[in-house]
Amino acid sequence: MIEPALDVLDAFRQEAGLSHGELWLRYFELGGMSTGFELEALLLGVLAPSDHDHDVIAHALNERFVELGGNHPVPYSRALNAS
Amino acid sequence: MTIEPTVPFETVTTYEGTDAFFALHGRVENMAAFELGASLDAVIDRHPRSIELDLTHLDFMGPTGFVALANAEKRLTEMGTKLTVRSPSELVNRLLSIMEVAEVSRLIGQALSDSGRLVAEQLGEMPALSLRGVQVDPTDEFRKVTAIPADPDVVDGALRLVVELARALVEGADGVSVSLRRHGRLSTVAASDQVVMKMDADQYATGEGPCVDASIKGHWFHAQSLDTETRWPVFTPQARGLGIKAILSSPLMAFEEPVGALNIYSRQAAAFDAKAQAAAAVFAKKASVILSDAGAGASDTQMAFRFQEALQSRTVIAIATGVIMEREGVEKDEAFADLLRLSLYHGEPLRRQAEAMVRSSRQPEQGPASGLDD
Repeated sequence: MIEPALDVLDAFRQEAGLSHGELWLRYFELGGMSTGFELEALLLGVLAPSDHDHDVIAHALNERFVELGGNHPVPYSRALNAS
Repeated sequence: MTIEPTVPFETVTTYEGTDAFFALHGRVENMAAFELGASLDAVIDRHPRSIELDLTHLDFMGPTGFVALANAEKRLTEMGTKLTVRSPSELVNRLLSIMEVAEVSRLIGQALSDSGRLVAEQLGEMPALSLRGVQVDPTDEFRKVTAIPADPDVVDGALRLVVELARALVEGADGVSVSLRRHGRLSTVAASDQVVMKMDADQYATGEGPCVDASIKGHWFHAQSLDTETRWPVFTPQARGLGIKAILSSPLMAFEEPVGALNIYSRQAAAFDAKAQAAAAVFAKKASVILSDAGAGASDTQMAFRFQEALQSRTVIAIATGVIMEREGVEKDEAFADLLRLSLYHGEPLRRQAEAMVRSSRQPEQGPASGLDD
């Protein structure tokens, strides 16, 4: 599980200037399986994402930040960093 | 327009030690908003340690009321005083969360940071003025965060709110409008006054101007001084004739396509400094999110195209994941994590990395396009 407050993901979404719908499409594009409704719950920490789901969301956001000229500000899960 | 009957508005302030409790009753609109601003100022002048704003008995709050709240929040932030909002009504809560009033005023008060993380930290410290800080049970929260329905009244109301807030909070702004392309034509959906309406209409009629260009090209157009401006020879003299000296138009994006513009007009040349530009960007982003949530701009064909793209990307990522599963003898999630690590390592979008992986699997004699060394 990811340690910091889970709604940090939604704060990143807002900073990236993506609506929930746009982020869902990007998440879906990367293979995400949750519905838009579930995704919102994951973003706000109402549902806890699996490491895999967290990484898909984080990457969808990070690819957006890269397009905007940024780096990869959204941290990935510990599982991804582990190996 | 009919004149609405007078609805009682009153504020009740009580103190408990140095903590102030401020309750609003009735409807906050027009004159009541000034009264609200004055009452809040009076409370703030007494330098309470904290202020609790009770909106439980509020029936309605118009854009001017939100501006009064945003101004109060800005003052309180500067003083380091904590502001909490108690049980706002569903509608007020939704508008506050759409606008993130606290966030907007805070960003304007500080230099904007490019770092998403820093902004996220600021959001983390936000007082409970927005949805994020309001403690409610999860099912309730869940219901409230659903995307704004594509109800034109709610969307137009939210855009009007953006216009009011931008006019009040962007330094140098004398007038603000939102233009949207609907059925291939630009029209003004929210404007702070008649001069601004006319400015927009002149641009649509002449087919030129910062608003038109921002709406089509999807980037910023800033006319610092119309006295020396040469890009829009027909429109510029008309604007000068109405006393406008500077214009800042920011594109509004929905599904990554330009669909309109947020236009800020000033009677002073060089009115918009870096801080004002940063604030304009914040409001343009807000308006873009509202429009995207409402599905504005994106036609069915555009959406179908985007969806098809997304499906292709999904498929290629799934195939690449399968290739890794077979090669490395790992489970699906681990294979995806491998692909993601490769994408990060090579600085390639995940889809490109997946395509490379699929290509490499077709040419086994050449080995993988990018090695899974570890």
